[in-house]
Order: sequence, then C-alpha cells, then structure tokens
Amino acid sequence: MTTAGEGSAATGTTGPHRLSAKDVTVRFGQVVALNGFTADIPEGVIGLLGPNGAGKSTFIKASLGLVPLERGSISVGGLDSQAESLRIRDDIGYMPEHDCLIPSMSSVELVSYMGQISGMGQRDAMQRCHEVLDFVGIGEERYRLVKSYSTGMKQKVKLAQAIVHDPALLFLDEPTSGMDPNGREEMLDLVRRIGATGKTIIVSSHILQEVERVCGHAIIISEGRLVRDGKMGALMAGEEGLQNLTVRGDAKALEAFARALGAACTIVRKADEGVGQASFSVRGCGDGRGIFGLAREHGVQVRSYTPDRISLEDVFLQAFQGGGRSGD
Amino acid sequence: MYVIARSVFRHKMKAIGVLVILALGFLFLHAFQLIFTVIAPHEGLEAQTMYDYMGSGNTLSIFAILLAAVVTSDLISEDLAGRSFVLYFSRAVKVRDYLAGKGAASLLVMSIMCLLPPVAVAIAAIATQSGDDYAGSAGVLARTAVAGAVMTVFFVPYGLMMSSFTKRKSYAAVGTFMSFFVLLIVAEIFAEFDPAWRVISPADALSFASGWIFGVETPEYVDWPALAAFMAGFVCAPAVVVYLKLKRQVVGG
Repeated sequence: MTTAGEGSAATGTTGPHRLSAKDVTVRFGQVVALNGFTADIPEGVIGLLGPNGAGKSTFIKASLGLVPLERGSISVGGLDSQAESLRIRDDIGYMPEHDCLIPSMSSVELVSYMGQISGMGQRDAMQRCHEVLDFVGIGEERYRLVKSYSTGMKQKVKLAQAIVHDPALLFLDEPTSGMDPNGREEMLDLVRRIGATGKTIIVSSHILQEVERVCGHAIIISEGRLVRDGKMGALMAGEEGLQNLTVRGDAKALEAFARALGAACTIVRKADEGVGQASFSVRGCGDGRGIFGLAREHGVQVRSYTPDRISLEDVFLQAFQGGGRSGD
Repeated sequence: MYVIARSVFRHKMKAIGVLVILALGFLFLHAFQLIFTVIAPHEGLEAQTMYDYMGSGNTLSIFAILLAAVVTSDLISEDLAGRSFVLYFSRAVKVRDYLAGKGAASLLVMSIMCLLPPVAVAIAAIATQSGDDYAGSAGVLARTAVAGAVMTVFFVPYGLMMSSFTKRKSYAAVGTFMSFFVLLIVAEIFAEFDPAWRVISPADALSFASGWIFGVETPEYVDWPALAAFMAGFVCAPAVVVYLKLKRQVVGG
C-alpha cells in the first residue's frame, strides 16, 4: 500500500475505472430506489451524498451487479454491471455499511481469507493481510475474534478486507458509521491516503463535512435521482465575481472606508460586526489592489479578502430546494 | 470454491461439537469393528460383515445425521445472520462456487465418519485375511467405498437447506436432526399398514440402499423405484432449493 502524500481531487474524466449510469431504475416491490438515475462519475475520490433512503447504497449494489435493474444500464470501466458483474467485481473493493464480518474468525483469518477468495495465493494473501491491517491500524488485536471488536475496529477490518486485493476502484458505504470522533478522523485519513495512491474511491455518506474534507467531486442523490454533481470546488463556489471582505478599524475610519468602497465597486451586502469590525460582500473590485489601497488610505486593516464560498451543506440544501448550480 | 472449502474444513476440525461426535463415533462404531475384524479369524472380506457393520442397524445413520446437523447448521445461517454474503458476492464468486465450497467441506468432514473408517476397516480385514480370494475382497472394499460415499452425501444437502432457512444455527441443527426423526416416526406409522413405507425413513432407506450395494438379502417389501426416488429427492431437492434461495438473495451470482 502506497501511503505517501495527500490529495483527493477527482482527476481524470476518462479512464479504466470511470463509472457511468444511464437512466437507471431499480425497484424493490412498490419502492423505487433509483428512479432514472443518470450520472457520469470520473476517477478520483468521489462523494455520493444524499439523505437516508436516497438510493446511495442501491446505486453501489447495482454497480456491483448485486441488484437487478428494471431499466437503464451502469458501466464500470466500460463493462456492463449486469452482464459482466463478475469481471467488474474482480477489480473492486466494497466496504458495506452494515455489519458483515464473520464473527467466528479473527481479522487475520478474515482478511487473508477474503484475499484468497479474490484470487490471491495463500502466502501472498497472508502477507498482504498483515500489510493492510498495519495500514488501517489493527495491531495485536488482529489475532482476536472479530466478534470481540469495537465498532471502530470492525469498520477498519471492513476497510482492510476491501483493499486486501489492491482493487483499483473502491466503494465505501458510510465508512465512518458508528465511529467516535477520533475514529472518524482516522478513517477519513485512511480514505485520503488511499485516494492519494490514484485509486478511484466512491464514498457514500450523509455526513457532509466528511465528504467535503476528503472528496474532490460530489454527486448528490435524492429519491433515486441525481440532483447535483460536480467538482467540489465548483459546487462550493459562491456567486460568481462576489468577494467577501472583512476590515477592522475605528468607527470613523470604517465609515469613510465604506463610502470610498461604495464609490469604487458595488457593495452587495454590508454588516457591522461590532468591536470595530465590518464585513462586506463586494463585486467589481478587480484583483483587489484597489481595495488594499483604499484601506491604507483610510487607516483600516484588511482582515480577509476571499472569493465568496458556500459550504457543502448549503450546496446540499440548495439542491433540495431546486436552486444552485452544478459544478463543472 | 477450494478456498471456501479449505477454510470451512479447518474451522470444522477445530469445532468441539464436531470433534466430540467424531470421537464418539470412532469409539462406539469404528474402533470396535476394527479390533474385531483384525482379531477374529477370517478367510476374506465378507459383504455381509460390512453390511452388518455399516447398514443393518441405525447407529451409523444416527451418527451421520448428528454430524451432518452439527457440520452444516452454521454454514449458511451464520452468513445470513452476519450478512457476510456480501463479502463473498462483492467478489467474483458465484452462488454455485459458494455452495460447492461449503458442501465440499461438509462432505470431507462427513467422510471422516462415514467413508474413511469403513474403508480402513475393510483394508485391515483384507490385510489380515487367511484366504487367497483377494479379488473378491477388493470387490467388497469397492462396495464399502460406494456405501460410505452414499452415506457421506445423503444428509449434507438437507442440512445445508435447513441452514439456509434460518439465521440461528441451533434451529438449523435441531431442524435437521428432528426431520430425521419425524420421517422415521411417519414411516413407522404408515408401515403398520404397508411396510413399503419404511423407505421414507432416512435410516431405513440408507440400510436398504447399503443392502443393495453389498448385494445382501433385503426385505421383499422394498419398492426399489420408490426408494431410488426418495433418495434422489432427499439429496437433489434440498440442493436445488438452497441454490435457488441463495440465487434469489444474491443477484448476479
């Protein structure tokens, strides 16, 4: 396992592990889990977002060929998920959301067993098993039965079994589910480190902050449909051309600065934050040199001057209210 | 399939329940027979002797069903309870490979009770025989192997089917064992009216089949087509049921 470096951006738009879904409909009895879902998923670390029951897990299972499609098709690296599911699964790692470990095995037995089932030789599987258990941070406990593990340790073993055969594409379904804050941090760090090795990772989660931190691309699903997708930077970019400015100074200076600022560019929003601080949302100020000049001229201190940016939570909420825009 | 079979076999050979039944079986069935065969003077290996040992009583059948119940009970139920199916089927594993692996491991364990000891006893008898008819003895050895193989295979698909019906291995084990007795009791009740009904008792069915394999005298009332149908059904129907049940659960396998 290569673990050096960090990086999580979705990289290419074409490649052997690119996924695409076209008009996919999956139904369980009366329940429509995916309803004409269409998406083109690039390589990199991808966040699959949506509320509970949105169809995230169903999409993952459908990609693995584990649920039948009523309509449409899913292509994984150019292979059809229904007709060529076994070939697809050869190079995929899957970390399910729910508890799925074999309780009567130790993690060493389980992970090496899964490696062998994936086609590795007994010796290679055992060697690789120790490597991945070291990587996920399972120490001497690896020789204890899995049923005695904490939730966090079980999550790590689930990740270890998913990467033991070194797949190029990983599906992680709610990887931090049931973990404490420290465990979450560790898990996100592991995802980031695996992503840095160039693998494509699809992280299904409803915890937006986690996706925001590790993913380079996000796909938002609701009621079985794609509601928004794009690069994280583009999704979270605020209104185009809008800059947020925070300045500090005495009341008179701030007032004079505001007047001068209003003359130089358009002030969209203005807020007095008290204690001698004010914030503005401005447009049409060029590269900002003029603002720094004005600040110097009026004796105020520029605390921050950044492009407008919204949180993934805002993107998510806008998506469900039908607003906002997709990323590139 | 080989990987699954090897793993299951290793686990079963460490399971206390399996070891206890194997030990008791060896003690009460095979050890006595082996000692008796070696000590007692004999000219050759007799089909009747092997039939008396393997097929005439219900003891070996009871040990076989007990072992099958213990061996197969958790093979699928544990994966159902722990939802471990997904670990297998998110990889390039087909339902038939999964079942073949589990079944092969069960058959290996069953053969330790039902096939290998009778063959060992037969070989010991041939090694210590005073007569020259080794060809005849070898023929009986082959029949012994066939009878042992039938007994090895007979209960495994049924046990796997019971294991696929529940998430609790204890229910599967009790279900497998009780089915044996329910069929035995039903056969006894109907045999009051027509003894041919005995073929639906697994123990009697195995006994009649062993009699036919060894070529010894069997009761006249045995309806051979009915026996063949029952035995084929007892093996094939559960195998088909468990395959279809898992196939439905795991699309794309």
